[in-house]
Amino acid sequence: MRRLWLLLALLAATPAAAQVHAIEVRTPRPFGYFLGDLVQATVEIEAEDGFVLQSASLPRPGPLTYWLDLRAVETETAGPRQRLRLTYQTFYAALDARSLEVPGFPVTLVRDDGRGATSAPVQVPAWSFGVSPLREVQPPRRDDPADYLRPDGSAPRLDPAPARNAALGLAVLALASLLWLALDRAWWPFRQRRTRAFALAQRQLAALARGPEGEAVYRDGLLALHRGVDQMDGRRVLADDLPGFLARHPAFRPHGPELARFFAASRLAFFGGGVAAARAQWPLARAAATARGLAAAEREAAS
Amino acid sequence: MNDIRRDDAMLTDWREAAGCFERAVGSAVLGQERAIRLVTIAIFARGHVLLEGDVGVGKTTLLRAVARAMGGAYERVEGTVDMMPSDLVYHTYLADDGRPRVEPGPVLRASEDLAIFFFNEINRARPQVHALLLRLMAERSLSAFNREYRFPNLQVFADRNRVEREETFELPAAARDRFLMEIGLEAPRDAATRRTLVFDPRFHDTDALIAEIAPAILDQAAIQGIAAAIQHGISASPAIETYVVALWEALVRPAAAGIRLPGIDDMEGLVQGGASPRGIAFLVRAARVRAWLEGRHWLVPEDIRAIFPEVMAHRVFLEPIHELRRAEIVPDLCRAVFDTVPAP
Repeated sequence: MRRLWLLLALLAATPAAAQVHAIEVRTPRPFGYFLGDLVQATVEIEAEDGFVLQSASLPRPGPLTYWLDLRAVETETAGPRQRLRLTYQTFYAALDARSLEVPGFPVTLVRDDGRGATSAPVQVPAWSFGVSPLREVQPPRRDDPADYLRPDGSAPRLDPAPARNAALGLAVLALASLLWLALDRAWWPFRQRRTRAFALAQRQLAALARGPEGEAVYRDGLLALHRGVDQMDGRRVLADDLPGFLARHPAFRPHGPELARFFAASRLAFFGGGVAAARAQWPLARAAATARGLAAAEREAAS
Repeated sequence: MNDIRRDDAMLTDWREAAGCFERAVGSAVLGQERAIRLVTIAIFARGHVLLEGDVGVGKTTLLRAVARAMGGAYERVEGTVDMMPSDLVYHTYLADDGRPRVEPGPVLRASEDLAIFFFNEINRARPQVHALLLRLMAERSLSAFNREYRFPNLQVFADRNRVEREETFELPAAARDRFLMEIGLEAPRDAATRRTLVFDPRFHDTDALIAEIAPAILDQAAIQGIAAAIQHGISASPAIETYVVALWEALVRPAAAGIRLPGIDDMEGLVQGGASPRGIAFLVRAARVRAWLEGRHWLVPEDIRAIFPEVMAHRVFLEPIHELRRAEIVPDLCRAVFDTVPAP
């Protein structure tokens, strides 16, 4: 029993040259290559079923000799055939038509049947291809050395319109987005300038002063000044809130006494039923003057 | 400027009496000037007052001081969970001869002279007791012993602990609406006042402290008449009428008035109800008293603003989801209303 195992092991380890039936190197044509041409070669190896090319044994792409580079290596399995597609590039500057030999190389075929690997080394034979010169050895003489060069191929004219249109469109889109962002963030053009509360009151009072006088006009004048104070403070300011208002807006502190008189007059006019008394105490002209002073203080504080 | 009319001499005298009263109460209750002013306003507006606050901030002391300075018959009950309406009305006991007796209870004991009824810890009493109070407060009358008792001078003072919720009964909306004011009492913030309160032995013995107050500074029987005189004597201009109605509208429909509160998305549905016409009438009544105390013969917006939170806040009912945060939302709402509604 033990002998049988030994025999089997020996059989499995046998170099299997007999398992490779044929090796063939094919090229599309064996002649007519110039400097820089790509040379395609296909190595076809016919082997027993199950043998595949061992990728570690394949030639590496890279320079082979000073005149030949291996550019690419691809493998392919078609039934029992293993195909190795090789792409070379020749840099041989031939002066006459001649044949060049590409050296052979070894590869290994492997079969792995689950019990152990069987390998078969294969020598790919050397092959050759013909190269030809690009030009005569002694070209006719030219005065201008630049004439030895071929003229550049004419490039097609590109149409700039689509690119320009796309750029314009995107620019418009970008501007629109920027505008939208500025609107959303209340940036410069959309930032509400703080309305000049007292300037508005001053204009209204000036307009009222031009018209006829009367109790209703006086009330409107007081209301205009009230709205100015309210707007400046962002809340409704009552007479008792005046010290707080002056503390919050120190710019108007010099007008404190006048504002106090205004609040007293307004209280009397609106709630005390004494419009006439209030007018006598604090006429509309003083309201207009106060509004002018407040508007000036407001401008000064804002600048 | 204030054209003081001759028949206002009485009002002027009473204003001085009210000042005495405030000073007397203020000598016993330190650092609560605003609460004392509000209680004074409530007394002259003939409204009932609910004091609300933490434990030991002086709710009871304040009310006892007020009761002593006001004079008149005074009764006091403590709310308990087993108290029944009959406990307020009747006093039942076994007499010396072993026979059961029924005599008038705390409410009826002083008969119709009862001036101050002081209900301590009102939220510990059951809803049945609250129901009895409803009539007592609104109509100042009560049926007992097969007849009707009237209490023309009655004023109910109640206090309530804000912190404790165990074994308490929330006052029904109808009962809260009958209180003129709900005054929140906080411990004084001022460091000097705090030092005095803690270290001066005078403030440790409440009974002695109350006894120092001169009794019956105000003539209890005349307050009714003077209250009516104040209401007639203080005029409200059309501007202030417009203002109050606008405030009312803004309080009930804050979204329409353009009020936005932080943290509340649904301003439309925030205020569900309340702010009854009775509440607004109370507001104006209290504002007139404040104007009188300030020495004016006409209302100004400041009068309304000074008493607005105490008179209106407990009458506003919020959407249930916001009701839990009521203590923050309602003061903000009141402030926003005054910041929004123009006056004049």
